[in-house]
Amino acid sequence: MDSVKIMDQPAILFVCHECDALQRVPAIEPGHDATCVRCKSRLFRNPKGGIDKPLAFTIASMVFFIIANVFPIVTLTIVGVKLNTTITGAAYVFMQQGSPELAAIVWLPSVLIPGLIIAGLFYVLFSIRFQMGWRYAKHILVWISRLLPWGMMDVFMLGILVSMVKLVGLADVVIGTGFYAFAILVILYASTIASLEPHTLWECLKDPTGSRKEPGNG
Amino acid sequence: MASNIVSAKTLGVAGCHTCGQAVHMRRQDQVECPRCGADVHYRKHDSINRAWAFLIAAFVMYIPANTEPMMRTTSLGSTSSDTILEGVIYFLTHGDWPLALVIFAASVMLPLLKMIAIAYILILTQRASSERQTERTNLYKLAEILGKWSMLDIFVVGLMAGLVQLGALTTIAPGPACIAFAGVVILTMFAEMAFDPKLIWDRME
Repeated sequence: MDSVKIMDQPAILFVCHECDALQRVPAIEPGHDATCVRCKSRLFRNPKGGIDKPLAFTIASMVFFIIANVFPIVTLTIVGVKLNTTITGAAYVFMQQGSPELAAIVWLPSVLIPGLIIAGLFYVLFSIRFQMGWRYAKHILVWISRLLPWGMMDVFMLGILVSMVKLVGLADVVIGTGFYAFAILVILYASTIASLEPHTLWECLKDPTGSRKEPGNG
Repeated sequence: MASNIVSAKTLGVAGCHTCGQAVHMRRQDQVECPRCGADVHYRKHDSINRAWAFLIAAFVMYIPANTEPMMRTTSLGSTSSDTILEGVIYFLTHGDWPLALVIFAASVMLPLLKMIAIAYILILTQRASSERQTERTNLYKLAEILGKWSMLDIFVVGLMAGLVQLGALTTIAPGPACIAFAGVVILTMFAEMAFDPKLIWDRME
């Protein structure tokens, strides 16, 4: 059943992403890292749990992503008026106030980009794990690697905390379901990224019939 | 020990910038990665010039980001606007120093340090310096990881403006510093992405 073999990798040629040092890296044990002989950067990891672990974290992230974005993150009571707001709701109000570009700068890294990354990872990981051979997996993985730096849910989480402290003077602040879900989502998302090794995913997606050009040892 | 380590470029091999695959360049400047299909180059195109352009633009934006007000609070007819530093001082004088520290570190120190770090790396790289290459590589990686935390204050203003929507009683509106500040963060990220850390190690090759 589980034909995704991560451990059976022979020694492979690696170019360090940071310093360009060419080196032969032997197969490493699960849970260990390979580091560059020159700059000591991490070349790649072999996370424990293979594909199953990031896939499980991704599915959990999807569930909490929905909860965090449907339920209000906070309920404010200002002079008897109650306000429930989700993240998208807050961004929408911000947009209506005449700052659409700022609303986009807030909403994209906190909602849309992480959402696309999580959905994309599900597509790629599910395709690999169950050998679906879904045709867009390669393109999606390229896009995920481009979007990753722009997902900022962890920074946004701190932003929610800071704004709550600031709002305490102005209103009664009651934390909502969305807030707890978002906090869990931040942890699940970080765990997903931490349990992933792009090199492993690329090896799994590599066209088995295509001729792979391995450079010689020089 | 270090003498027998060679850069892939000297052997006509390049690491794909998208997926990391070692690709034989077959005497060409650009080939298609056999694994992910992206274009593979030895180094990012025009890396240093593009990094400088983004960095200088970020430096310019940093000035209004700090001198203009970040947030305008209108409450019962009276309006107050705060720059980032005024916000930090407000929390400091009200005994909320952990919050003051977080905002100061994320909004004032971090973008400045990141810009200085990238400028330092760029200058030494242009001089083809062989000093502290490992340290510069680590500095680059640190700037890459920490940069996004400067978005904190933008998110705070965005959330507060979006949450406090009582119109007549209290409104919170973003100030002109917001867009400048977002510009600083985004431009420094572009500068860091445009720079190719492999150039730190390219010298006599």
